[in-house]
Amino acid sequence: MSEASIRGRAGSAVRNARERLFEGRSPLQQIVIAVSLFAGVALLAGGIFAPNSTASDLLTILFADSTLAATLRLSVPIAFAALGGIFAEKSGVINIGLEGLLIISAFTGIWATDITGSVWLGLLGGIVASTLLAGLFAVVCIEFRADQIIAGLAVWLIALGLAPFASSVVYGGTTTVSVPTFQTLPNMNVPVLSALVTTPLGFVVELPVFGVLDLESSLVGIPFFGALFDANPTVYLMFAAVALSWYTLNRTAFGRWVVASGENPKALDTAGVNVHRVRYAAVLLSGVLAGVGGAALALGIGQFTGNGPTMVNGKGFIAIVAYLFGNYNPIGAFLSTMLFAGLDAVQLTLQARDVFQVPRPLVRTIPYVTVIIVLALFGRTRLPEAAGDNYESGEGE
Amino acid sequence: MVRLVNASGFERLLISLSALLLSILIGAVIILAAGRMTDCGSAVYTLAFPGSLVTGLVGGDALFSMGFCYDPFSVYDKLFLGALGDVLNNPTNGQFATTLAETTILMFTGVAVAIAFRAGIFNIGAQGQLVVGALLTAVVLVYVAPAFSGLGVVATLVLLPFGLLLGALGGGAYGALPGALKAYADANEVITTIMLNFVATSVALYLVSDHFKDPESFADQTVAIPDFSLFPSMLFRARDDFSLVALGIGVLTLVGIWYVLTRTSFGYDVRTSGLQPDAAEYGGVDADRTIVSSMALSGALAGVGGAVYVLMILGNFQTGVPSYGFDGITVSILAGNNPLGVGFAAFLFGVLKSGSIVVQVGSDVPPELVGVLRGLIILFVAMPEFFRMAGRKFYSVQPTGNRAVAADGGGGHDE
Repeated sequence: MSEASIRGRAGSAVRNARERLFEGRSPLQQIVIAVSLFAGVALLAGGIFAPNSTASDLLTILFADSTLAATLRLSVPIAFAALGGIFAEKSGVINIGLEGLLIISAFTGIWATDITGSVWLGLLGGIVASTLLAGLFAVVCIEFRADQIIAGLAVWLIALGLAPFASSVVYGGTTTVSVPTFQTLPNMNVPVLSALVTTPLGFVVELPVFGVLDLESSLVGIPFFGALFDANPTVYLMFAAVALSWYTLNRTAFGRWVVASGENPKALDTAGVNVHRVRYAAVLLSGVLAGVGGAALALGIGQFTGNGPTMVNGKGFIAIVAYLFGNYNPIGAFLSTMLFAGLDAVQLTLQARDVFQVPRPLVRTIPYVTVIIVLALFGRTRLPEAAGDNYESGEGE
Repeated sequence: MVRLVNASGFERLLISLSALLLSILIGAVIILAAGRMTDCGSAVYTLAFPGSLVTGLVGGDALFSMGFCYDPFSVYDKLFLGALGDVLNNPTNGQFATTLAETTILMFTGVAVAIAFRAGIFNIGAQGQLVVGALLTAVVLVYVAPAFSGLGVVATLVLLPFGLLLGALGGGAYGALPGALKAYADANEVITTIMLNFVATSVALYLVSDHFKDPESFADQTVAIPDFSLFPSMLFRARDDFSLVALGIGVLTLVGIWYVLTRTSFGYDVRTSGLQPDAAEYGGVDADRTIVSSMALSGALAGVGGAVYVLMILGNFQTGVPSYGFDGITVSILAGNNPLGVGFAAFLFGVLKSGSIVVQVGSDVPPELVGVLRGLIILFVAMPEFFRMAGRKFYSVQPTGNRAVAADGGGGHDE
């Protein structure tokens, strides 16, 4: 390969990236993107070439082993809720009650685990509770043509009342007892997988920035990315759910029905598919997915805390912004989830290490403020044509 | 035409009442179910078939009998009647004072949510706006009030309205922010207002704990505001934290907002933007400006609610503000977003909030029950079609075609 052709390729790659990032954006959006890119580069450069500076401190936090682990852990509830939200909204039902589904499944997950003694049955319990509440929401919206936003708010407020109420009835307080949590993959003793990630590879490489690539012990020992092999099973479930959701929406008949039901329900009806049934399926599916997310959140910690906004603490609403930012694409939604969860992880590390002397309550607002900024700059997404509208077929009414 | 419009208002009232009754009924089922989930020495309430009256007369045992740890009748008795206290003999009793105090604050948050609804905006952020208004009032008054000490009534007459104004300014600015984000950046106000609630709580915690903390207190609270700038207790006992003056201001505010909405050109702009945004814009209404100004007004009302909370109940600012903002959503929806209806709905919720304290003291049923009822009421008011279908089974009526609650609906009945 000649030098010219390499330069040509690099040039076209840069042009490509520039088009994708800047084309069709408003001046304000372009400025923000440019500033973030510049800040990213400055941070990397500062971190590498100026040790002991603030930039290097921040870089150390960003690439700490615990950061990716925390990001993945914090992504789980948001990603599952976002996937659920995509299905519901694509089908024409805006499910703003995702927060409520997360809350109810978080409590039920703990309760069911406490009764059965099995984390997996607890997860199942959480899914059942969330799906039931989503079913109620579906009936109210589809059968009784309720305003979807208000019904969604009601779902959130019902769960916000019911979960602490049930916790007080069963455990005598809004915080439950502690139950077993999901173990990480190497400790789970899954026959082939656990062996695969813990087998010593027997070599050590030294890398700049990342430090020592210690594969003497196992895959888990890889700096930063080792967290990928040391996560709990819900993280892998999340990867699978993102891929499956993308496949379902883009490559299956059901996916096409869901999209048609949100874009042009009349055409779907004419084609002989029952619009109501598709919407019921989509909303129930959002209940199942949010149920996994909520139960996984609580079972990752082993306890449900129900005072104030509960342990879910706005994750359901962040999920909505994540899928809007991801433009209703499961993979896009997952990437923006990783962004929000990543910020949350950095925020937690900042609180723990006290690097910049920023007061903790202010650090805690970082994810929420980011959500507002992202929504203000990139929130102008196109909703499905019939989202929020009730659909009545000509027959039977 | 007038008859039809009134019928729709009447229908709305019926739907709100039915929703309330249905929520109470389902609440009773939840109480019974919860009573089976918990442990108690002996059943407090027994459901038997045939009932004890029949078995007593005819003899023999009930065919079916089940004991429950909680008695729904006793719970509702405490919740609704307990909140009134011994009101007939002693209208200024402590429990009733608490009920009226809660009612007063819910009037402000309820009408705040209602006016945004009428403009077609979901203001879920009344909670955050209330926190900002309350904090600003508490912090500034502590610095300003000492200058007026020794002036007696004059000090109260100056400082009290000033405090309410501070609340309005703080809440108004914090409400205008998501309004501007919606008008000029198309950011969905449901999400931004909810996020701003979290931000307000955290920032308030930071400001109080790091800057304005009362050095003599372990809790995160500000220095107490001098008594002469607080609401006078009038006929009620000072320790019951209720003032008829505040209630009076609340009632006047509701009437004022009703007047603004129905009798002024600003109110006309707000209502048409809510009902028909495109038609309003065509008719010369500046849609963006209407969104920002109605959100600012909404936030200001919630902020005044926060100022009243500080000046009537607390006497300073404390972190961990009760969920007046979220209850305001229910109050507004239950009232069909009508400012005058907000008064009645606020009283009902004042009863629920104050009654939940009686329930907590007098029984084992967790007070979080009120939170469940709050959600159920919103859910049922949101589905008028359910009650129309149920109504049609008994009595055939022409549906008026209005949706009872919708951001774009609000109320066509005060034309």
